[in-house]
Amino acid sequence: MNRKQITLWCGAIILILLPPFALQTGSPYLLSLGSRILIYALAAVSLDLLLGYGAMISLGHAAFVGVGAYTVGILHFHSSAAEPVLTWPFLFTGSDNGLLVLPLAALTAAFAALIIGALCLRTIGMHFIMITLAFAQMLYYFFISLEKYGGDDGLSLAARNSLPGLDLGQGSHFYYLCLAALFLFLFFAHKLVNSRFGLIIRGAGNNDRRIKGLGIHSYRYKLTTFVIAGGSAGLAGALLANQTEFVSPGLMHWTLSGELMVMVLLGGLGTLFGPVLGAAVFLLLEETLAMYTEHWMIYMGPFLVLTVIFAKHGLFGFLSGDKEKNG
Amino acid sequence: MADTLLKVSRLHKSFGAVMATNNLSLDITRGHIHALIGPNGAGKTTLVNQLSGDMQADSGTIHFLSRDITRLKSYRRAQMGIARSFQITHIFENLTVAENMGLAICAGLGHNFKFWRHWRNTAAIKSELPIALERVDLIHRAELTARHLSHGEKRQLEVGMALVGKPELLILDEPMAGLGPGGTVELAKLIKKQKGRVTILLVEHDMDVVFSLADRVTVLVYGENIATGSPEEIRNNPVVRKAYLGEGG
Repeated sequence: MNRKQITLWCGAIILILLPPFALQTGSPYLLSLGSRILIYALAAVSLDLLLGYGAMISLGHAAFVGVGAYTVGILHFHSSAAEPVLTWPFLFTGSDNGLLVLPLAALTAAFAALIIGALCLRTIGMHFIMITLAFAQMLYYFFISLEKYGGDDGLSLAARNSLPGLDLGQGSHFYYLCLAALFLFLFFAHKLVNSRFGLIIRGAGNNDRRIKGLGIHSYRYKLTTFVIAGGSAGLAGALLANQTEFVSPGLMHWTLSGELMVMVLLGGLGTLFGPVLGAAVFLLLEETLAMYTEHWMIYMGPFLVLTVIFAKHGLFGFLSGDKEKNG
Repeated sequence: MADTLLKVSRLHKSFGAVMATNNLSLDITRGHIHALIGPNGAGKTTLVNQLSGDMQADSGTIHFLSRDITRLKSYRRAQMGIARSFQITHIFENLTVAENMGLAICAGLGHNFKFWRHWRNTAAIKSELPIALERVDLIHRAELTARHLSHGEKRQLEVGMALVGKPELLILDEPMAGLGPGGTVELAKLIKKQKGRVTILLVEHDMDVVFSLADRVTVLVYGENIATGSPEEIRNNPVVRKAYLGEGG
């Protein structure tokens, strides 16, 4: 077993054993913090597919987190108000059933990513960064102006979604749901980046002009990646809405996009597993530093800068001794 | 009547007041190594860019396999069988040598929306990858990240990638640039091995290489085709001697 595998197994064991540990020590807040880390990790890993593999520097990833969260919020709103979401062209009622709501949140976000991606991917470099940011801010202001769904104040959920056999109101059940989602996505993403599709995405990220010279129309591959990343960010958003039982336009704000980007850089760009570590370190630092000062970013900033300068492949690269990225 | 693979007619391209390609016509015969020479700034790379589709001509036409490709995008031309290497080495620096070559093979496989299986486990890649690496002597470097290759090896990789798709026309833009004498000999050997199997347009500064490899030579000066002929004819052409050979040696 090499160093990278040991690091991964240690990480997995810590994540799996966290709930019993929290129960033993009587500190249930660990569970909600842990769930939050897992959800942010899911969003950060999906962003890493874009940043670290396809070199698509999206500063609007929070838009898809927000779309996923609002799918949960809006369906819950209509379910408790007993008022259908749509009466035309077909009847569509609100729901709290997780089996329906969670996949639907991912699909809605994926659809949003398809439209936004199709337009943004016609640009590259700085223009791409700015136009993804612009779309996210557009959605942010759109949801602020939606008075019906709380506008600026957002929507509160009376309860979490229901899933057969699970009680998501219980911290440990919800935690394991998030963990399963993260593990499945990591497994899928790991397969993806090493597949033929992934090879082309990595090639396009490395040298897009060369990919075209080979006769490969990279646009379709990039758009597909954008949709996959958007959909999984949507799932993260849906879980986040359940975790906080609250949805607000703040989820789409560019500061969340920025935080996700910081998690990816901190953990290791193009490492898939790194962003999980990045999310954990970011949220734990936020939690502890915020106890001492509300200006915790003053400490976070230099920490990020030092990590990026001295650990080229982030904290994960540092731990796993990984010299090459994209591995 | 020779079998013409690529036919360029009255091609024009200007950048502001500079005529980079000026009323240029050129025929490339199938199976030939056709060399393109000319002093610096003669518009060689501009012409190559228009042939590969990386740049659009202002006017004139380009026919490839008797089809008008003047307005086709570069990836469509690549699909039709035009492969090129770049003057500045153009490989996937962050990927391994095997992955670079794998990508070149993937390009010939139609679509690549295969999300699950490891890319190496595709039948076509399993069978072609070792052959493609062997062809350019890079099999012992397969797992190295491409940026760690020597300059000459990068060129070998690039030519190897261009050869993978069994292209009809291979455009080599100054393949010898920046190589030491050893590297030049290696690469010239490699190009010679391809003679007859693939039509090659060779843009080159090194006269020894050009005269030893080429079947036909075209001389470009100020974007104009001033002479085309066999290496012998070009060597003895007084206009060429004055414009080019006389200066450079």
